[in-house]
Amino acid sequence: MPDAPMNDEMKEIVNEFLVESQEVLEGLDQRFVALEKNPNDTALLNEIFRAAHSVKGSAGFLGFTRLVEIAHQAESILNLLRQGERQVDPAVVDSILEAVDVIKLFLKDIKETGTDAHVDVSAISAKLAATLAGAGSGSGGMAPKDAKKSEPAETAGAEAVVSNATIVLDSIEVELEAEPGDAAGAPLIDSATANKTAPDEITDKGTKSSPGKQEEDQTIRIETVRLDHVMNLVGELVLGRNRLMKLSASLEQSHEGDPLIREVAETLARLDLVTTDLQTAVMKTRMLPIRKVLGKFPRMVRDLANKVGKKVTLELVGEDTELDKSVIEEIGDPLVHIIRNAIDHGVERPDERRAAAKTEHGTVRLEAAQEGDRILIRISDDGRGMSVEKLKAKALSRGIVTAQEISTWGRNEILNLIFQPGFSTAERVTDVSGRGVGMDVVRTNISRLNGSVELSTEEGRGCTVTIKLPLTIAIIQALMVCVDQHVFAIPLTSVIEGVKLSPGDLKTVNGQEVMTLRDQVLPVVRLRRVFDIEGKPQAPMSDAQGELGYVVVVAIAERQVGILVDRLQAREEVVMKSLGDFLGEIQGVAGATITGDGKVVLILDMAELVQTLHPAGVRAGVR
Amino acid sequence: MKPDMKILVVDDMATMRHMVKYIFKQLGFTNIEEAENGKDALDKLKAGKFDLVVSDWNMPVMPGIELLKNIRADASLKHIPVLMVTAEAQKDNLMEAIQAGVSNYIAKPFTAETIKQKLDKIFA
Repeated sequence: MPDAPMNDEMKEIVNEFLVESQEVLEGLDQRFVALEKNPNDTALLNEIFRAAHSVKGSAGFLGFTRLVEIAHQAESILNLLRQGERQVDPAVVDSILEAVDVIKLFLKDIKETGTDAHVDVSAISAKLAATLAGAGSGSGGMAPKDAKKSEPAETAGAEAVVSNATIVLDSIEVELEAEPGDAAGAPLIDSATANKTAPDEITDKGTKSSPGKQEEDQTIRIETVRLDHVMNLVGELVLGRNRLMKLSASLEQSHEGDPLIREVAETLARLDLVTTDLQTAVMKTRMLPIRKVLGKFPRMVRDLANKVGKKVTLELVGEDTELDKSVIEEIGDPLVHIIRNAIDHGVERPDERRAAAKTEHGTVRLEAAQEGDRILIRISDDGRGMSVEKLKAKALSRGIVTAQEISTWGRNEILNLIFQPGFSTAERVTDVSGRGVGMDVVRTNISRLNGSVELSTEEGRGCTVTIKLPLTIAIIQALMVCVDQHVFAIPLTSVIEGVKLSPGDLKTVNGQEVMTLRDQVLPVVRLRRVFDIEGKPQAPMSDAQGELGYVVVVAIAERQVGILVDRLQAREEVVMKSLGDFLGEIQGVAGATITGDGKVVLILDMAELVQTLHPAGVRAGVR
Repeated sequence: MKPDMKILVVDDMATMRHMVKYIFKQLGFTNIEEAENGKDALDKLKAGKFDLVVSDWNMPVMPGIELLKNIRADASLKHIPVLMVTAEAQKDNLMEAIQAGVSNYIAKPFTAETIKQKLDKIFA
């Protein structure tokens, strides 16, 4: 089989092998961390063993012999654990986890080059051999090489046994024919029935930690491209429905009492319901439990805590909470960074904690939950929290803000300094986090998902980072605004409020137009200027002139900005369409949509808009 | 043994099933169905007329040995040849398989030639 030419079918099988093995290995990390906590859980150990065995088996067929060797060594160690000849201690677990990592490298190698020839295994091989040897001599510790050598001999021997047995059994069968087969068969049939009804229990016992396996019977794999296509079609359907609803409404008005129009309206009402349900259902097809992302955290926390000499317990709550697939793909990195921060900077070292009358083990808790049409992810730790004074000092010493400015800032604004690029109050930069590029990237990534991130802390007690995400990114609620006859859509998630301008509201400070809203000073952006819309004079607004309009107050994290427009229209549900390759990179524009009255409308990207128009001058949202 | 004989391949890993299928195809057998564990296999066996079962040993829900015993215990299924796919470390289990009525076994990874030899033996 290794020599078989790489035709399409083989390529597909190799791809499948890569996907399946990846999944299997992903599950292993978690299981190992669980095993460390429950070293005597034999069901868990068997699962782990079977996983390694499966990957090895398939790899063997495909001729990835180097991968097979490493997997085989790991499997041998697992076998020792299974048979109780070795204890589950951190050293053993470490070596197997390392082997798993190497196998992942192999998978990557195969994906990129088609062979497993490029991964250096000298280190891991030696380590595994050492771990194996540590089991001591004797029957259990048969070195892998020996096992392989004796294979052909044993195979031949066993084969002889089987053929002999067949002959023997054949003759026995003849004897048995005379006896009513049922007598001998009865107990077996009973156990067969028992097996039929018992599988649920078996599944529960053996695969409690892998609910995926039982669900496998009811799932099929779909390429995301196909789902995207369906989503697209549903999006078009929604747009069409919106248009029809509007037309129907105006028809009903102009042809009041016409029974045909009435019937059309009623049919449309039903269509409306079905379309909405379809939209929700399709949205759900793309939703996956966040467990997928959280899966790698137990291991990461374990390794990181060990590395920095801290004791950390990770609590994961709400793993069943579902997110859109694309959100799941993007949320992993930000979460990793936040958790790393919590461990590296938040949780104190055991001696520090004891001195502060805390438990030696710090807790990092990640909680995910759905709240209405949003997903909330909260990461909290019971570490040392953040010091507002320290942040202030750092900001001043970095020259990010003047002493006078910062004296007007509230606690929240100072805390949000951590979202500034290059800002970090870590005493020294570790390679783990603290390079200072983290939190601003986190916020940008989350803004890209139309979400928000906030921070709260209590010095000495801990920190909580709260991430809010919309359920779906394709269909959004938007506020429609106008400049002259041009209509724009502002995602409602960013909108705080809309305010009608009165004469004298707009002022200019440091060359930036601002307005005062209650006790806040908001920078104001003229949408007209952003998109160079001519029509009305563009001169800086003088107070008296009829250039009144509305200011839409939008918020990105803790920054607030006012967007000046001519008119506000209604809120609408819009299906976001990408502008494609040619127009897709326009700053400030997230996409476009077709409204219920058939117009093409640009959907604004608030984060980008705010960024491009606010260089160093107005930091952190002047309030 | 006819080229159109109906074969059931049982393994919990899709990759493995497809590889076994691929090998059988090379020998000219194309009438192949798949099952992902012993229980799934039993259901399929009862629903259709199969001429051969090729099953892995380690599977969740119902492992290969249980499947074998169930097949041999069922009057309508007990005549179907069962070829167990084993790993080299499972020789201890072979005795149990023989006692349970396995027709033959093959160690993985295997090639088309080896399968052919085993098939010849089974259907001799």
